[in-house]
Amino acid sequence: MIELKNLNMSYPLEHGRLDVLTGVNLEVGDGDTVAIVGPSGSGKTTLLVLLAGLEPPVDGSVRLDGRALDELDADALADLRRDRIGIVFQSFHLVPSLTALGNVALPLEIAGGQDTRSRAHNMLERVGLAGREDHYPAQLSGGEQQRVAIARALVHAPKLLLADEPTGNLDLRTGEKIIDLLFELNSDSGSTLVLVTHDEAIASRCQRVVRLHQGKLIEEDQGALPA
Amino acid sequence: MRFLLELAWRELRVNGRSLWVFCACLMLGVILVAAAGGLYRVVSSGLLADTRVLLGGDLEVESNAPLPPEALQWIRQNGDLSLVIELDTMLGTPAGNFLRVELQSVDANYPLYGELALEPAMPLEQAVAADGEVFGAAIDATLAERLDIGVGDEVYVGDLALQVRSIVVYQPDRRLSADWRGAPLLLSEAALQRTGLIQPGSRVEYEYHVRTDIPAETWRQSFYTAFAGEPWEVQTFYDRSQRIAERLDQIASALLIIGLSTLFIGGLGVFNSIETYLRGRLRTIATLRAVGLRQRPLAIVYLLQVGMLSGGASLAGAALGALLALLGSGLIEAQIPIDVSASDLVLPALVAFGFGILTAFTFTFPAIGRALSAKPAALFRGNEPGVGEVPLRWWLACLACACSLLLLILLALPDALFGLAFIGVVGLLLLLLEGVVRGIRRAARGLEARNTLLRSFAIRLALANLHRPGASLRSSLLSLGSALTLLVACTLIVAALLRALNTTIPEQAPALVLYDVLDSQAAAVSGAITRSAPTARVELAPLVRSRIVAVNGRPLTERADTEQARMTDLAARADYKLSYRANNIDNLTLVAGDWWAEPVGGRPLVAMEDREVDRLGLALGDVMSFASAGRSVDAEIVAIYSQKGLQTRFWFEGILSDGALDGMIARQVGAAFLDDPAAIEAQKSVARIAPNVVTVRTADLLETARGILGKAASGLAVVAAVSLGASLLVLISVMAAGRTRQIYDATVLHALGARLALIRLGLRLEYLLLALVTSTFSILLGAAIALPLLRFRLKLPAEDLLWLGALVAFAVSGLSLALGARYLLHRLSLNPVVLLRGGQ
Repeated sequence: MIELKNLNMSYPLEHGRLDVLTGVNLEVGDGDTVAIVGPSGSGKTTLLVLLAGLEPPVDGSVRLDGRALDELDADALADLRRDRIGIVFQSFHLVPSLTALGNVALPLEIAGGQDTRSRAHNMLERVGLAGREDHYPAQLSGGEQQRVAIARALVHAPKLLLADEPTGNLDLRTGEKIIDLLFELNSDSGSTLVLVTHDEAIASRCQRVVRLHQGKLIEEDQGALPA
Repeated sequence: MRFLLELAWRELRVNGRSLWVFCACLMLGVILVAAAGGLYRVVSSGLLADTRVLLGGDLEVESNAPLPPEALQWIRQNGDLSLVIELDTMLGTPAGNFLRVELQSVDANYPLYGELALEPAMPLEQAVAADGEVFGAAIDATLAERLDIGVGDEVYVGDLALQVRSIVVYQPDRRLSADWRGAPLLLSEAALQRTGLIQPGSRVEYEYHVRTDIPAETWRQSFYTAFAGEPWEVQTFYDRSQRIAERLDQIASALLIIGLSTLFIGGLGVFNSIETYLRGRLRTIATLRAVGLRQRPLAIVYLLQVGMLSGGASLAGAALGALLALLGSGLIEAQIPIDVSASDLVLPALVAFGFGILTAFTFTFPAIGRALSAKPAALFRGNEPGVGEVPLRWWLACLACACSLLLLILLALPDALFGLAFIGVVGLLLLLLEGVVRGIRRAARGLEARNTLLRSFAIRLALANLHRPGASLRSSLLSLGSALTLLVACTLIVAALLRALNTTIPEQAPALVLYDVLDSQAAAVSGAITRSAPTARVELAPLVRSRIVAVNGRPLTERADTEQARMTDLAARADYKLSYRANNIDNLTLVAGDWWAEPVGGRPLVAMEDREVDRLGLALGDVMSFASAGRSVDAEIVAIYSQKGLQTRFWFEGILSDGALDGMIARQVGAAFLDDPAAIEAQKSVARIAPNVVTVRTADLLETARGILGKAASGLAVVAAVSLGASLLVLISVMAAGRTRQIYDATVLHALGARLALIRLGLRLEYLLLALVTSTFSILLGAAIALPLLRFRLKLPAEDLLWLGALVAFAVSGLSLALGARYLLHRLSLNPVVLLRGGQ
């Protein structure tokens, strides 16, 4: 599913460059759940950005399902995200002008799919928000917003689910519920999950844990708890 | 306090650049209010300073014939007297040119008030005196210019040749209508008599100007008592003041209302721009609260900022407006004798300044109140501080400011009724707007929900942006919509007037209109025209000036009902112009009853003008008794007609069956149908054989009308442009307020896989929908204002011109919003990475 080869990423500074990822190699199979852990500034989010095709690497290659992302133009990358990737952001990033239902239906509508509303409605039901379809994000709590975000990320049954600190903006209790929901829905859908987190407990629920330190993949733990 | 002032100033200096829209919106509105108010003050104080000068006396007794010696004696016993005899005629030049003028014979006492200025300077008596056989004349400066004549040149009036001795550069009682109804030529009474123009039936007006110490109203009543039953009309300087003040008040109120509307539309810009600014200051506000700054001093910081900005913008606007008023009054001074005093501009400028400050605070209180509720707790979570509802006390402050604003409107508008109507209309419009906004939102929501109907994601996105909370629909409709409404209304009015002028061509309307044709000259004048242009068709119709003496046998003076009594009292003293049908010479349209078949046996029949019918409470079947030249005629009303409005030439109040006016006819009016070059020749021929006959070429009249309309249209265009400018500023503020939201939405969509092209299409559609909705709203409202005005006041139906209003609305809104969309798309560089990095 995912194949990262000799991946390097850096950002220009006023004097010189800041190396964020250095020589990263990683392979993730279909349906795997992988946690990326590491301290702040270790390059976790950058790795996610590269996986989503939101930025090209300075060097090396990112392949998803055998397709090299550096060979795709902006539209093809957008189509890839639309059809194969779901993203859960730490800050939810719902569209405030759309209702909960509208937000969940977005990936389907962007793709021009059929029965978008009913599929979105079903998905909202699955995240426990039946009856809140017409509420705008501002009318939902943080936990509810993240449920909507998870529903949006999974409604189009993506092959790859990227989650960036999905509980980072939530209290402990709500966070636990959200993680349970995320793993449950991911398990149902059979998507590959790449999860960025600080939380070792959450990481331990993934099949694999990838640790990043100063931009290097320094260790890979196998055999964590299955989701 | 010093600390707060410093804080306010420092923050404004560093972060307040985006508030230029705030200042510009406020300034444009204040400029218009100050300019309109200043112009009104200067003109009214100039005109109304002493209307004795404008009237030429404390009172004026008007008559169609010389007053008898006993009346003159009475007047002399009760004041000083100056007689001005006025007569419209044609002035000829040696080059063979003719122009309509108003002859004014003046005596040694003229003018009773004010000073006449002649160039070269000389006593008036000397200017008009006879030098041997040649009489002198002083001519109006516009006559000298239009006929290219100067001092020493010879001019012809009737049978008399006059020598121009002087040019009148200032005449205290010169009428405002002199430029299009005939400029004055001053001559002596002896010279006037020698012109041969004063004959039985000539339309001569004898104006006896009186200067007296007796209160004008007392004088008038004593005169009426002394000469009861005489048809002489007495006007006081106070009547004149009232008439001028009334008209000025209406014009000024209309101008001020446009200024105030612009200011209130600008208020939206003020609100949007301060809200955008404060949204960017939420972290600062939360931080200041977190470090212990209390709510009150925090409020003072932002109120000080609004005070500084609105004070500066209003001051600049008031100064610029006063300057514009000064320039405008300078232009008016060239047309009307007024003294322009800069001190008159101070009060209107202060009032405009007050409007600016009050508008700014009315529109900023809610935004400040909401921003100050930013919660410092959010800082600990690294989030943008959220804001709550606007606290009640801020709403109360806003309400207090709004009430002060309304009070100031009522105090500042010269016509308080206009002020009340304005407030009522604004309230109604806001309600209407709210209804429209809700309707559109509901429709958009309904359409968006019909998944199967609208498969395009871009269309659904655009529709969602119309009805979502915080959508710019309301602000756009209110700002651009109201300016476009004004533009559509102006376009329809100007286009209808222009069309009326352009379709009034000699083929359809008479190329030459004749006034004051003596009955004895009728055949000769007709002959002169047909000799000049053999294919010309000439229609002549009698013009009998009469008075209504009774309705259904009951004298007008006995009518008792109050309002009608006042009108009938006026009617009893007014001239009623009567005529025959003469092939419907004035193109009248029947609104009730039928024309009769000639000849009519038995009692004469009359068709009355609809306005007079309404004014006097008449109906079909009533019998009117008219009196003229010592005779009277009774006629039954069998038809009611309306005039053609702007194209009407003679304004007949009654059309009688043929023969009914026999014995009363002394003069005729006429219309000649021919092409304009032939009309010029015909005009000269008529002037040669009948110099007393006033002829007006339609082409000449149209040229003058086009000139006046051109100036009016330019004025309207300037006002509409300023109003549109303010609206565009508001639109910029709306877009600026929404830009962050739109870019954020687009970024999320792009992260979720929407192609850039799709996002751009969605934004374009959003603006297109907004343009469509705004234009439709403006077209409907603009038409609702302009069409009834044109149809009922100016009698110019213009429903078929609606396409032009629509074209202007669609073009302007399309262009404005397309520019806005282009600007936004230009700035639309999406970077979804920020979403993952926790940015907004």
